[in-house]
Amino acid sequence: MRAGASPGGWRGIVWSLGLVALVTVALMILRRLFELPPVAITFLIPVLVSAIRWGTLAAIVSATAGAATSAYFFYRPFHSFHVDDPARMLGLLLYVTVAVVAGYLAARMRGEAALARKQEIEIRDLYAFSRRLASAKAASDIFEAIHQHLSSLVGRKVALFGPAKPGRGAGEHFGDAEMPGRVREAVMAATAGEVDPATATVVDDGTGNLWLIRAVSPKSLDFGIVAIDLGQRSKETEEDIRAQVDAVLADATTTLEHLGLANAISEARMRTETERFREALIGSVSHELRTPLASILGATTVLCNAQAVQREHRLLALANVVREEAERLNYDIQNLLDATRISSKGLQPKFEWAEPADIVNTALERRRNRLAGREIDVELLDELPLVYVDAVLIEQALGQILDNAAKYSSPTTSIRLAGRRDNGEVVLSVSDDGAGLTPDERARLGQRFFRGDRQINNTPGSGLGLWIANAFLAANGGCFEATSIGEGRGTTVSIRLPIPDGGGASASLDHE
Amino acid sequence: MNELAPAVLVVDDEIQIRRFLRAGFELEGYSVSEAENGNEAIRATTLRPADLVILDLALPDIDGANVLQRLRAWSTVPVIVLSVRSSEAEKVRLLELGADDYVVKPFGMAELLARAKAALRRQARGSSGESAITVDRLRIDLAARAVFLDDERLTLTPKEYRLLQILAQHAGNVVTHQQLLKDVWGQPHVDDTHYLRIFVRKLRKKIESDPNRPRILLTELGVGYRLALPGEVINRMTN
Repeated sequence: MRAGASPGGWRGIVWSLGLVALVTVALMILRRLFELPPVAITFLIPVLVSAIRWGTLAAIVSATAGAATSAYFFYRPFHSFHVDDPARMLGLLLYVTVAVVAGYLAARMRGEAALARKQEIEIRDLYAFSRRLASAKAASDIFEAIHQHLSSLVGRKVALFGPAKPGRGAGEHFGDAEMPGRVREAVMAATAGEVDPATATVVDDGTGNLWLIRAVSPKSLDFGIVAIDLGQRSKETEEDIRAQVDAVLADATTTLEHLGLANAISEARMRTETERFREALIGSVSHELRTPLASILGATTVLCNAQAVQREHRLLALANVVREEAERLNYDIQNLLDATRISSKGLQPKFEWAEPADIVNTALERRRNRLAGREIDVELLDELPLVYVDAVLIEQALGQILDNAAKYSSPTTSIRLAGRRDNGEVVLSVSDDGAGLTPDERARLGQRFFRGDRQINNTPGSGLGLWIANAFLAANGGCFEATSIGEGRGTTVSIRLPIPDGGGASASLDHE
Repeated sequence: MNELAPAVLVVDDEIQIRRFLRAGFELEGYSVSEAENGNEAIRATTLRPADLVILDLALPDIDGANVLQRLRAWSTVPVIVLSVRSSEAEKVRLLELGADDYVVKPFGMAELLARAKAALRRQARGSSGESAITVDRLRIDLAARAVFLDDERLTLTPKEYRLLQILAQHAGNVVTHQQLLKDVWGQPHVDDTHYLRIFVRKLRKKIESDPNRPRILLTELGVGYRLALPGEVINRMTN
């Protein structure tokens, strides 16, 4: 029973004594005016008030004080605790008994009321919690619900970590509770699977504060980890909280299992791992292929330039075949490497002021061999504003677009590359007189591995080029758009790059 | 040192790369020695000074950058680094550690030879006191601090001249943005690429026939600038 002596504490006792004093003063005034009967019964008022407001101890204190005051002030002989009249003595004793019993009952009622209120709140919480569990669509909803429910239940800091993501340590963090270093370490250890999910650990954060750390589900770590600040509580309260937490988490885990989230989560993890594995494989294979390719390419350039080979045009032609094919292979491998770089989020643009003409010239220069024999008209506006980008990434994006233009148009037609300014953007556009785009192709352009049905059997390609271009441009705050007046009537692909403040300004920096 | 047959040391752990580099350099009249790791490279340069070092960055024992640093502690021999793509920052770091130039793997022999010639020529210029550099229609007379386009003297501001002068001193080899900014504007401006872009624009207008398609003052995207070598034909690969 919680209706102990503590609720009012010292303040309650002082207050109840105050009430007794008040009643005493009132009785003294009244006694001057009227002849009063035995007064002890009047002191039941402070006793009952004290019991209801401040608990049993306050009630007993005020009962005792009431009896003493009656004996001292109101029963003969006055100003002495002695009471002459046996009938009055009996009355006084009766008063004390009634006061103590009434006080106890009142205090107990008060405790029950408080308990009922608390239980009502708990039930309401629990109801809200289970409603949220039932309507949860994703694991994160459930974790959010668990976090809120535990926080209101324990009334202290609660940190909840969603399922660990492979290779990224602890999962999503619910709640903004700050955790001391030691607790964080313990959570990390638990996430890393160093702890049996069935056992909970209690960690001292170094200041005497205790934290309870346990897996959400005792069966597996797939449901995440929870850390609860227990404060500086006694062993008993700790056990109490533990039992409550167990109950809450048992409910939650059942729901989680019910939703089949365990499977979904481990499936997702497996998918991520497969994806990562695939990318690592592509990455390492590409690297492995590049090394011999560097030798092949280097060696053929030596051969092509050697006088002995140049004198014999048939050999020279063969050497050129090897070189061109090796270059093509190198280009494809480069695309694969770029693609893995994008997927693994390895794109970290290095922003710098860049001259648009430099980007255009480098893209053309690097593709000189691939575009050999094509007529390319370059028309750049004089004094294009500077752009603030990773010029190397933009150059590669532009290169991909140029390659596409060359690939999907007849070698006898020309390609036009224009640079202009359009409102707040620098626009670099590549136009060809080639296959053009159908509306459907236009909509899906830039999707990974997308290749137009018309092209799949006619032109070799991987469907990565424009996807790479798109990712590189997006990383720089730019984008591309494709327009075509129709099938077979050519395509224009435009890169749009924002012009930052100061891009067009030419400061006077020549003062010595 | 032999004026006729410059000695080049090729440092790469890939035997096939060393093979074609040997063939490529020997066909051009260089004498070639090889090292397959960093320690061997350092030993080789102490035993028999080379005129030029071709240094791969991925070595099995010590990092290529480390080899470069140790080499630079006592030698000014021109070093050309073989780097991989998508690491402009690394290229810049190596150039700042004292590499003279870089080529990106896979590369063509012609490109490497052009870089090598430029680096050797700079070394020779330093010792012979040669003071005029001619690129295309442009002649830079370093002694007279004068620049001529088709024999007509150009009016350059002091900073424009300083920029051109640094590039001319490294003619044919790349100079990083940071180095140009530091030398022309001073250390506090080493990250103000904006200045550099605007100045290069102005300079190109004065020296190039088409400033949008420069032939003399070339850009190395993400790294720096280079002045073309006279008659330079760089057959860059698609990479």
